[in-house]
Amino acid sequence: MLLQEIVFYFLSFLAVSGGLLVIALPNPIYSSLALALTMVSLSGLFFTLNAYFLAGVQLIVYAGAVMVLFVMVIMLFDLKHEIEAFSSGLRGTLIKVASVGALLGLIVGGFEITKMSSQPEELTGLGSVRETAIILFSKHIFAFEVISLLLLVVVVGAVTIARTRGGTHA
Amino acid sequence: MHEVGLNHYLILSAVLFSFGVMGVLVRRNAVVMLMSIELMLNAVNLTFVAYGRFLNNLDGFIVVFFIMTIAAAEASIGLALAVAILKRFKEVNIQKFNLLKG
Repeated sequence: MLLQEIVFYFLSFLAVSGGLLVIALPNPIYSSLALALTMVSLSGLFFTLNAYFLAGVQLIVYAGAVMVLFVMVIMLFDLKHEIEAFSSGLRGTLIKVASVGALLGLIVGGFEITKMSSQPEELTGLGSVRETAIILFSKHIFAFEVISLLLLVVVVGAVTIARTRGGTHA
Repeated sequence: MHEVGLNHYLILSAVLFSFGVMGVLVRRNAVVMLMSIELMLNAVNLTFVAYGRFLNNLDGFIVVFFIMTIAAAEASIGLALAVAILKRFKEVNIQKFNLLKG
């Protein structure tokens, strides 16, 4: 229906413009803001795909924690002299743009060749929190436990890497 | 009759992924390169959720859950490394990190 299409095109316009601004703006604070915009619009797209739990997790974890971490680290740097934001050389940049364009063409060509039936199935209450939790804790319980162990390793590793010697002042 | 089908989401995800690749190739700031990697991971999340919805399979959603966890962990480690590099080199332009160059 028309409302579905309007919502999808609006959200995808926001996501694509956010992605373009991430790579195009020289100031990294503006890039992080554009990335936060992309993540919020992707959360909206998850809502349209009936993945309600994942949309909430995307907002909380990505747009709420990861982007805040990025902004804090950017503010640690003193970036007034961000003149050389992009790699130099027009010929190198054109080669990079052409190769990424070829990659995009290959991916989209791959979709169009293997045409799947793109009729959306009827609503089955599939992505609700209850269904996701049931299958997470029954079928994927081992991966769940392993990833909690991995998070412990990551926390210890991040603190070890970024630690200053000799206390709290660097 | 122009429903929003699977291909719409897949093409959007491919476009976002290619933007992420462009960001890693073109930008020189280490933190912006990490942000482009996060953009690539988000595009892949959208692909998994789209397939999970259109194939009526919840395993796609669970994979996205784990990808989000891994991506957040990897972002924190990458930023910890970037902070350590900043303290050592006093700048984040990756073209100045050429101590391993022969």
